[in-house]
Amino acid sequence: MVSHWLNFRFALGFLVATLAYPTSASEMQRCAMDDTGKELCLSAPAQRVITLSPGATELMFAAGAGDRVMAVVNYSDYPPAALELPLIGSHTRVDMEALMALGPDLVVTWVTGNPPAQVELLDELGVPTFAIEPRTFAGVSSVIERLATLAGTEREGFAEAERFRIGIASLTERYVSVEPIPIFYQVWEKPLMTVNNEHLIGKVLQLCGGVNVFGDMQRLIPRISAEVVLQADPDAILTGSVDGVSDDQLDEWKKYAGLTAVEKNNLLFVPASPISRPTPRLLDAIQTVCEKLENARERL
Amino acid sequence: MTRALLSLGLLALASVALALALGSVTVSPADLWQVIQGEGSTLHRTLLLDLRLPRTLAAFGTGGLLAVAGALMQVLLRNPLADPYVLGLSGGAAVGALLAMLMGMGTLIISGSAFAGAMLATVLVFGLAHGTGSWTPSRLLLTGVVVAAGWGAVITLMLAITPSYKLPGMLYWLMGDVSYARSPWPAVVVLAVAVVLIMPLARNLNVLARGPMQAAALGVSVRPLEWTIYVLASLLTATAVTTAGSIGFVGLIVPHMLRLILGNDQRIILPASALAGGTLLVLADTLARTMIAPEQLPVGVITALLGVPTFLYLLHRSR
Repeated sequence: MVSHWLNFRFALGFLVATLAYPTSASEMQRCAMDDTGKELCLSAPAQRVITLSPGATELMFAAGAGDRVMAVVNYSDYPPAALELPLIGSHTRVDMEALMALGPDLVVTWVTGNPPAQVELLDELGVPTFAIEPRTFAGVSSVIERLATLAGTEREGFAEAERFRIGIASLTERYVSVEPIPIFYQVWEKPLMTVNNEHLIGKVLQLCGGVNVFGDMQRLIPRISAEVVLQADPDAILTGSVDGVSDDQLDEWKKYAGLTAVEKNNLLFVPASPISRPTPRLLDAIQTVCEKLENARERL
Repeated sequence: MTRALLSLGLLALASVALALALGSVTVSPADLWQVIQGEGSTLHRTLLLDLRLPRTLAAFGTGGLLAVAGALMQVLLRNPLADPYVLGLSGGAAVGALLAMLMGMGTLIISGSAFAGAMLATVLVFGLAHGTGSWTPSRLLLTGVVVAAGWGAVITLMLAITPSYKLPGMLYWLMGDVSYARSPWPAVVVLAVAVVLIMPLARNLNVLARGPMQAAALGVSVRPLEWTIYVLASLLTATAVTTAGSIGFVGLIVPHMLRLILGNDQRIILPASALAGGTLLVLADTLARTMIAPEQLPVGVITALLGVPTFLYLLHRSR
């Protein structure tokens, strides 16, 4: 019933639009809801896009609209083509003049990462903004589709979103019956920080059969003491590093020879950038984490 | 002496002109002139009228407010180390602002909360210093410094329990940053009104600076005057902090610099502080947003980098 009504309304709207604008195809509005629940409608596909987070840059490329991105913020290092793009400051401090001078028709912002005052200023200046911050696997594919809709690159974007969805589904299926292994994911060394199960990293760990010993904590990124880690005595300790190369971040734990993770040589490193960004590269991150945990299980 | 004020005024105008002319995007003088005449391209109008002008005015207002508040505090406490924040006002404002940020409030509520925090700090120090009846500037100073330490502890606590993604915004607020200023008008209007209101009091302030006994002997009602200064300085500082966070240094150094050049006559020092403080912050902010553009520096860094050598030079020369 509802869908009939929607169809009817759509048909009526289309009819009106066709009557009003004989060349309607290119003038139809492209609308999408951002991650704060605000709807953005563009009258034409976005051609001049500026991304205010490294993740947003990556997602624009994933949506098949990489060639529309005119400028990015610091640390936009993936895909390699993003490194060639001009910078307009950092995500916490945007050079508003440089941004306005580029005359963007879409600025992709970061819900919790950009200063609210600067985003409000963009709104006041009439620059279309679209705030994103996927917190789930489904959120990643959906945001790719929404960005593709705004950029008019639906074909590439929806295909990529589908590839991600299928990838997640097949990885989930593959690792659904592995033996659970208690783990601790170290986000930062000093102060000691981890993630809970709501965090996207936490979801990656769960998919691979990792049981996050701090998964039930209230905060998304809790600060904890070394004592509770010793008490929980996880079978493996993971952290992110540049390209997943071992460095000194986990050396502190080696002092505690009684820790299972130390004893069994299960201090593990995974590439930091794919696991920390809500982008299709999460598939690679999941693959790596799952393999590392497989090996860790064998060493127990 | 009016010549000194006139040249400071010209300097202020020059700094504002410079701030409008410079930015990470180059706008030629010809384009600048077109915009001033109400023409020019949309982009140039946006850059100058929507971005540079409000920011420059906010910087000028904030700098002027802090310098005047600093000059007042130094007279009130008869202590050369006094600055607008010495009595814990910025601490109260910071706690207010950070609390609002922690709760995820919008920019307007953050400003309001900062102002409320500043006022709370003022009333708290007033009440505590006033408590038992006997009242001296040193008692006010001690109370203020201790309360400021208390605010500092609360700020540290809040930073420690804040989710990490909110930390950059909070740290930038604590460092002071004109780029987050929304509207320049409160700062500019309060500064103008304050300077007009304060001029009739300047003569009495000169007497007070020599000590309360002498002031009383010369017929100045010391206590009401002191409280007026305290309330006024607090209002000025609260407005400044609400506009651009707690920018340090300007309130301490600018009045001293001016005393080294112009002598200690409050009738000159107060309006001169308004002009020189504004000029310093406008210049510092212009550098902050252009020096390593597109990266943007916090303005407090530049104020100190500009101010420290200038002050040391003046101090050296005055011996």
